[in-house]
Amino acid sequence: MGNQPANSVDKAKDAPKDSGQVKRFRIDLFEKIPFLKKFCKWRSFQFLAVFPNLVIFLFFLYAGLFGSRVGNRNIIIIFVWIFWWFLLITFMVPFASRIWCVLCPFPFFGEWFQRRALIKVRSGKTGGLRNKMFGLNKKWPKALSNIWLQDIGFLALCTFSALFLTRPIISVVVLGGLFLVATVLAFFYRQRAFCMYVCPVSGFQGLYAMTSMIELRAVDPQVCRKECKTKNCLTGSEKGWGCPWYQYVGKMERNNYCGLCMECVKSCPNDNISVFARPFCGDTQVKGYDESWKAFIMLALAMVYAVTLLGPWGTIRDWANIAEVRNWKGLGIYAGIIWFTALIAIPAVWALASWLGKLLAGVRSISTKEIFVKYSYMLVPLGLLAWIAFSFPLIMVNGSYIISVISDPLGWGWDLLGTADVAWRPILPEYTVYLQILLLLFGLFFALKRGYDISLTLYQDKSQAVRSIIPTGVVCAVIIFAFLRLFTG
Amino acid sequence: MKARLVILGIVIVLVCALIPPLVASSSSGGGEKKEFFIKARQYAYDPPRITVNKGDELHIRLASLDVVHGFFLEGHDIDAQIEPGVRQFKLRHPSEGKEFTDVNEVVFTVEHTGKFRYRCSHTCGTLHPFMQGELIVCPNYPFLAASGGTVGVLISTLLVIFLAGKKHKDAMPGGDAQ
Ligand code: SF4
Ligand code: SF4
Ligand code: SF4
Ligand SMILES: [Cu+2]
Repeated sequence: MGNQPANSVDKAKDAPKDSGQVKRFRIDLFEKIPFLKKFCKWRSFQFLAVFPNLVIFLFFLYAGLFGSRVGNRNIIIIFVWIFWWFLLITFMVPFASRIWCVLCPFPFFGEWFQRRALIKVRSGKTGGLRNKMFGLNKKWPKALSNIWLQDIGFLALCTFSALFLTRPIISVVVLGGLFLVATVLAFFYRQRAFCMYVCPVSGFQGLYAMTSMIELRAVDPQVCRKECKTKNCLTGSEKGWGCPWYQYVGKMERNNYCGLCMECVKSCPNDNISVFARPFCGDTQVKGYDESWKAFIMLALAMVYAVTLLGPWGTIRDWANIAEVRNWKGLGIYAGIIWFTALIAIPAVWALASWLGKLLAGVRSISTKEIFVKYSYMLVPLGLLAWIAFSFPLIMVNGSYIISVISDPLGWGWDLLGTADVAWRPILPEYTVYLQILLLLFGLFFALKRGYDISLTLYQDKSQAVRSIIPTGVVCAVIIFAFLRLFTG
Repeated sequence: MKARLVILGIVIVLVCALIPPLVASSSSGGGEKKEFFIKARQYAYDPPRITVNKGDELHIRLASLDVVHGFFLEGHDIDAQIEPGVRQFKLRHPSEGKEFTDVNEVVFTVEHTGKFRYRCSHTCGTLHPFMQGELIVCPNYPFLAASGGTVGVLISTLLVIFLAGKKHKDAMPGGDAQ
């Protein structure tokens, strides 16, 4: 599995062999922008990033509880599900990896409890760490040390999305509930177990962060391997906390499970960590079925949302809208379709395509399983771009609610900035189709391009490599065609 | 070598994208009078989708089956408000002003092809922001071109990477496989 906590320092000593990762060009941002480095090394960095968001988040909860019950008049709905979602999927994840996890208020209280410090560091000893930490500090159960919980949790949550997307009070229950679970888990389990293994928005951020145009990595992995005995990035020091996400930077080769908290930048004694700019889709490895299924689930959900929320079909919207329509049979059909598509249908098609790819390539030693998992990376740029294509109309059509709700966040008839009465006015809605077409074709291109890059790590011969991706490539094209049909056809 | 392959790839995509619209443009049609009666309810329109030809003259009547709904037609400067139980509805052209006038039907000729959504523009309940239907004006050039483009991207990417195969080390942004 991709996210084995690298908690043991011994394990970290062996050099990464045959990673299968494609090495790419990158620019050292800390070197280019010294201020950025200074800022990230600053101990108050994380606190200052999170605190305003915590205040805003608590205000949203208040608005959800006491404000208007009409979704598009309540700031919790408009800001969280339209504005935040849009920013997250179209900008933060593709351009800045898991930067949201720096800003996210969910782990605030839990982390505070574990550290009993908001800014300073405590040195000492806790487990393998060089920091003093509070709480029970248990290890997360091995059987759950993967993203299956997040896969299923997110799917379950999204089955009922029509509820919390439109009802402030249900949004409060969902968001408040997650906040509570994040806090309570921190009493028992070490560091950010919630973020690594439970948080429903963690899994897809990790998956899609592989496409991101930035990465945090060791400047020279040789230094980590040969010179550094203390591995303070993982274990902490008097300058920084041990990685809350259990990452050992010396071997970290993907963005998936790095929350960009910058503790390692502070604790590395060799000043060997930096943030780099890199081309789109820099990480190309999917590791394990849990991550493949995340890709399937995200794709299925994008399609289901495109049908339910952006489609013309009232019956399907009624099925999803259980709170008002109370058609349990309809909800059953709806949920059944979602779960079947995400967990069985897409994976089955993918398995078939992988098997055909193996046959076409004609190399026996490379298993269908390997092709299945590795090539499922193709669905990462594909799925991300499909989500972006889905999210643009959301903001172009409902963006004016952002402007009006900011003046009247609780829907109480206030007019703070004089924009409360701005009429609903979609922004150039008739042009969204062109944007969506470009986004989807761009996604298909990257799926194929990276699919080929990956196939070259499996096959020596370029023609075998190309043949091996033809079936999965065709599946990708069919998926893109389906989205085009929904959005523009 | 590399630049030539990229150009080849782009040409393939463009050719594939052009074929379906060219084929479709030869089909005749349009210029007819077409009548529709669209009923709004929480949170959909019936019919959910209407298909016409470029040049058709549309006569649309609107009614609501439950609460007050809107009818905002993308790209056509049409916005209506529909009250339940009333035969007439209120119509305005947003670019011309905010005032509504009572009408029996909205009449216009479709000049642009593609997909245009009609959406509810009057908050009518929880799923209001997602209440929408579709007007398809054939031939749907954007969709046809995009479909051809999909095939084009598939063929050209596979072909170009195959031809560039040996040179893939420098063709990829920055590097080779470890
Ligand atoms: S993983 Fe989830 S809870 Fe943790 S910081 Fe990221 S978004 Fe927040
Ligand atoms: S502390 Fe620095 S030098 Fe040591 S292993 Fe971590 S990143 Fe490498
Ligand atoms: S690797 Fe560094 S920046 Fe990433 S989560 Fe760990 S300590 Fe934070
Ligand atoms: Cu309505």
